[in-house]
Amino acid sequence: MADNKVENAYSKRSSRWKLILVALVIGLFATLFVSLNIGYKSISFVEIFNMFARRILFLKPYIDASSVNLYDEKIILLIRLPRVFAGALVGATLATAGVLYQGVFRNAMADSFVLGASAGASVGYTLVALYLGSSVSLFTLGYGQAIAFLFALVTTLVVISISRVGSKIPVTTVLLAGIIANIFLSAILTILQLKAGKSLTGIVAWLSGGGFSNIAWASVYAIIPAFVVGIIVSYFFSRDLNMLSLGDETASHLGVNTERVRIILLALGALITGAVVSISGIIGFVGLIIPHMVRLMIGPDHRILIPTSAIMGAIFLVLCDALARVATGASELPVGVITALIGTPVFIFLLRRRKTSYSL
Amino acid sequence: MVLLNLGGVECRYGSVKILEDVNFVAKEGDFVGILGPNGSGKTTLLRSISRTLKPTKGAILLDNKDIYRMKSVELARQMAVVPQDNTIGFSFSAMDVVLMGRNPHMKRFQMESESDLTIAKKVMEMTRTWDLRQRSVSELSGGERQRVIIARALAQQPKILLLDEPMTYLDIINQLEVMDLVKDLCAKTGLIVLAVIHDLNLAARYCSSALLLKDSRVYVAGKLEDVLTSDHIKRVFHVDAIVRKHLVTNSFYVIPLSPRKAPIARGCSIHLICGAGTGTWLMKVLLDEGYSVTTGVLNVLDADFETSELLKIPAVSESPFSPISEKADKANLDLMRKASRIIITSAPFGLGNLQNLIAAKEALKNGIPTYIVDEVPIQKRDFTDGKAAKLLAELVEKGAIVVKNGSEMLSILNASNKTGYAMREPIGIQGHIRARADNSPTGN
Repeated sequence: MADNKVENAYSKRSSRWKLILVALVIGLFATLFVSLNIGYKSISFVEIFNMFARRILFLKPYIDASSVNLYDEKIILLIRLPRVFAGALVGATLATAGVLYQGVFRNAMADSFVLGASAGASVGYTLVALYLGSSVSLFTLGYGQAIAFLFALVTTLVVISISRVGSKIPVTTVLLAGIIANIFLSAILTILQLKAGKSLTGIVAWLSGGGFSNIAWASVYAIIPAFVVGIIVSYFFSRDLNMLSLGDETASHLGVNTERVRIILLALGALITGAVVSISGIIGFVGLIIPHMVRLMIGPDHRILIPTSAIMGAIFLVLCDALARVATGASELPVGVITALIGTPVFIFLLRRRKTSYSL
Repeated sequence: MVLLNLGGVECRYGSVKILEDVNFVAKEGDFVGILGPNGSGKTTLLRSISRTLKPTKGAILLDNKDIYRMKSVELARQMAVVPQDNTIGFSFSAMDVVLMGRNPHMKRFQMESESDLTIAKKVMEMTRTWDLRQRSVSELSGGERQRVIIARALAQQPKILLLDEPMTYLDIINQLEVMDLVKDLCAKTGLIVLAVIHDLNLAARYCSSALLLKDSRVYVAGKLEDVLTSDHIKRVFHVDAIVRKHLVTNSFYVIPLSPRKAPIARGCSIHLICGAGTGTWLMKVLLDEGYSVTTGVLNVLDADFETSELLKIPAVSESPFSPISEKADKANLDLMRKASRIIITSAPFGLGNLQNLIAAKEALKNGIPTYIVDEVPIQKRDFTDGKAAKLLAELVEKGAIVVKNGSEMLSILNASNKTGYAMREPIGIQGHIRARADNSPTGN
């Protein structure tokens, strides 16, 4: 009887987790669908629905083909759809990277942007685009992602080693070191831009936090491996992250090889940051806002924190991107501007209350 | 047979040597107290065993395997640690925290299995934390959280449990419960427990063996009764202490006395005629004030005799429950002759120690100033049909000075009197009986 009670408490918890995830996945699909409707040319929901429905075999006979304008279909399938998918993947990945960095450093202020990993990745990627890529096309992926990953990793390690005080990594020094890295790397980027001259006009928009216009399916496919690896591997380490949040000593007493876990997760964070930056440029604060919100909602357990943050990150960035498309009428805002506008107050809030959240 | 073996362990923080040449073996069922003053290296020793601070020299072996070469998981299956600082800044539920103790037994891709849940429930019931399972650890009281963390350690099903100051957050009943639980596991499952303990009485009560550290080295190690002696306590902590075996708990207990002031030698020696604990307080304060003190004749096992042993006061003694022999009487008279004052406390007098008063009369005749502390009326402590009372009256007649109590005695002796004798529980006949009950036959 009593054992049943334990089981109940725990099956209750895991069914609650399942419920949250199912609800979020439904929410994600709804968001994707709605955001397909948003843009310069208005295309009705019915038309969008028909476009998809007529591609599904058993629904095909019921759809009136004449309701779909072929030009509209091109806009949806070749421009908006890759764009919302890219937004979802990038958002999910950035949020996951945020969870990883915060868990590894036990510091609610850490994310790819703050730690300079994004800036490092973008320098790496720009270098590749300038010197290795035959064209400045943003879609020569592979090389670019690998170098972006390396630069992100090196930047993170440098920032960490600068900010380490004894065996601790205090919030304030991390933030300072991150700012320094970001300033330095953006100077390098400016030099690279000038050097490249006119040929980099595409990259300029990409760099200034703007990355989803003109995105093609190729970019979406290119980010999928990093996304899948990132989510799956970090999920495997979710219990280790739980124990790391109790402190290094406790974690190691509970059987966590803290040094190894930390290196694996840092590399993983850099890998997915590099992949993301290579298609979307620097988008700040997603990795900061989302994990924090989720933690307030569902608690500190990484086994639910990671998937929930990923889906919430996807929803958040898709919405931000939709907003960016229509906010100023005909011309688009870079999505990084929107996330920065939302992210800054959250960042300030976190900084103010960090004494009560993470202990460092 | 599980064995923990420390050989020549040396630890440093930077260039500062914290531990040196520690050798120690603990085996199944041992409850080892790591004792010593602040800064003697207790916590460092525990940290090196828990693999937090790697020794610069020497090796720590668990079943002949170097723990620093084991995988973290492998070690965590055998060793659990309850740290000194138990704050958890996250809102994990108590159950979640306890289940984390199952981590070393789980595979990476596993969720907690039924057996993990059953084990968690069992250890939570043992530590009385089952009712807290849904609560967030960050909301628990210090004591509750400490019990949750002990439950987590037990959930690891370790062979060795390291406790760093485990009692910091616990009140007395929780201390006893937790220690009883741990001790029970030692006895039943062969768990090895290593605990850093400040409270010598707690150590004395629960530990089977102990490691006494002094100045970064092991001063003495071994069975508890060989380690925890008043001599060792004196040398390591610089505190006089009485160590006894308690008849009720059948374990040792330690009564520390306040630290000795550096006495100013007064060049004045005092001989005490006392017994049944009536001279104990005076012995201590007189020594503290810089007098040299002698006493006699006291029966072995008498509370005052034990005090004199402890304070290293020269005393003439007689076998237990025996009247004063001629030999003892003579020795006593010799001591009295060397004294510049004689003090007779309000001791009970029977036929056994009546001779002491006769000796005092002799000394007074030789011109040695004699004082009678008349705190308890002689009628109440005269068990000689008035012979003792008569002798005291004769002493007074011959010039012995009667004082009301020990404090007055001290001020007469021109000694400071900060503690105040009057504040103390009067030691009379009842004290005499109690003192007897406290004495163990093996005490000497």
